[in-house]
Amino acid sequence: MANAADARSPNGSSWPSRGARLLAWLRSDRVYEALNGYLFITPVVLGFLVFFLGPTIAAIGLSFTDYEPLSEVSFIGVDNYVRMLSDVRLHTVYVNSFVYMVAAVVLMNGIALGLAYFLNKRLPRVLRYVLRSAYFFPSMVALVYVAIIWQFLLTKDGGVVNYYLSLVGLGPIDWLGSGIGAVTSVIIVDVWRNTGLALIIFLAALQDVPDEVTEAARIDGASEWRTFRTIVIPLISPAIFLNATLTIIGSLQIFESILILTRGGPGDSSRSVVFYVYEKGFQSFEMGYASAISITLFGVIIVLTLLMFRARRRWVHEG
Amino acid sequence: MTRVWRAIPGTVAVVILVAASVVVVAPFLWMFSTSVRPSLEAYDLPPRWIPTSVTLDNYDAALNHAVPLVTQFFNSLFIAVTITVSQMITSALAGYAFAKLRFPGRNVIFIVLLTTLMIPIQVTIIPLFIGMSQVGLVNTPWSLILPGLTHALGIFLMRQFFISLPGELIESAKIDGAGPFTTFRKIALPLARPALAALGVIVFLASWNNYFAPLVFLRSVETATLPLGLVLLLGPYKSGNPAVVMAGTALAVIPALIVFLIAQRWIVESLSRSGIRG
Repeated sequence: MANAADARSPNGSSWPSRGARLLAWLRSDRVYEALNGYLFITPVVLGFLVFFLGPTIAAIGLSFTDYEPLSEVSFIGVDNYVRMLSDVRLHTVYVNSFVYMVAAVVLMNGIALGLAYFLNKRLPRVLRYVLRSAYFFPSMVALVYVAIIWQFLLTKDGGVVNYYLSLVGLGPIDWLGSGIGAVTSVIIVDVWRNTGLALIIFLAALQDVPDEVTEAARIDGASEWRTFRTIVIPLISPAIFLNATLTIIGSLQIFESILILTRGGPGDSSRSVVFYVYEKGFQSFEMGYASAISITLFGVIIVLTLLMFRARRRWVHEG
Repeated sequence: MTRVWRAIPGTVAVVILVAASVVVVAPFLWMFSTSVRPSLEAYDLPPRWIPTSVTLDNYDAALNHAVPLVTQFFNSLFIAVTITVSQMITSALAGYAFAKLRFPGRNVIFIVLLTTLMIPIQVTIIPLFIGMSQVGLVNTPWSLILPGLTHALGIFLMRQFFISLPGELIESAKIDGAGPFTTFRKIALPLARPALAALGVIVFLASWNNYFAPLVFLRSVETATLPLGLVLLLGPYKSGNPAVVMAGTALAVIPALIVFLIAQRWIVESLSRSGIRG
């Protein structure tokens, strides 16, 4: 707007009109707001460029080299990617990561939805608050600490878990030392820690379901299960997709619990992709190869996320 | 009779809920109980959930261990506080701009920033490590602080909040002659306190709990953060005294517990707001 410029340009002087017009343009509300907008986002854009985009591009670059610290680097084209095709260990760790992912998506969301549904029933306020807090708390505690506690509990001889199993005539199970036991342990710790987070999101969604809708279904004679399946589930489908997406991304990055519980063993039976990347990159220092693996993981995450968004568009009920 | 039948599902629900909460709480209870019992009793079976004899020896041993947990506690605190303050400022500014200021490319830039949420840390960590070694920042807190100064999650959460502010509020400030920054600082920011608090807690805990990046960047016991220290306390062959390890773990969990008790309501609100309306 011109009035801002009028007030600021020196009146009656021979100020060249071009400068005045530029000043007026800069001072106009629209441009001034836009300039402020860019200024406001400058820190986060810089952070993005230096610490996310730059390193990501560098990682893609590294994945085409045989980079190792303190040795000559050379461009080796797609050799790292070709090597992955015949790296049997990589195939194993990918399968393990997918097992963790499927287990997390199914178990965590299933348990969280069930508990959230019960929690949303008519309960005394205090009881609901205490229970919700209890469920939610573990997800605030570092996975390292959680894993440290659990590796004591899961000890084969003298562990608390096996003690209670022995009371009902089971076990002893070699939780941390056998292949299936190790995978199961990692899943137990992941589900135990993160179910509360999914539960909070489900609970918020369930609270948004209007009582009249479920009440009407009940009056029409629908059973509770049928009401839940045909009315509640569609209404909370956005939360289901959000939780599923978060669980997919999260479970593909399980690291600490594997380090503490099993170190990836026995053999490679509980090793995940990110654990393998860490060992390749920072223990055997094959940073080029490790970068290439991490790029494939990034690709997998992108594809899965896009698939989730497509599925969401198709199935989710938008209120 | 029908009333009894009606009550059964409710009772079953409560039983399931309480049973689940016992499963969730028991490991923490075992941690506390083990940490205050004489260390010879650590492996007693059946497990003693309620200690019969209480001692603070394990805490004493954990605090005076060769692994300097106290130093590491303050390392963790320094890193977490710096990152939290920075992200609260940068996320509030950017979130406000993306929600309330109009400028060309606004939505594209926002979406591009959000895609970083999909980048696993394992992708960026190798180039970051190489870069940090070149500028000599490996094994200093700055190798963790600098990449943590901004984050897409904070931008997203703050934008979600500012979008919910009525536009008239901003417009009326503008008519009163306030520029964008004044409007942001005097009108929008004070209203954003609960959202900022939630963000602060989430960022603090994420940094406090972080393990992977510190494992890569921090290479000595004096610069290590608390999670690294606890793993050292446990020992490479898990040979650490369980009672002492549990005492150390309890000390590390307590700050999270305090923050949680204070801030649970804000976090839940913030998660609920961003969760459902996608």
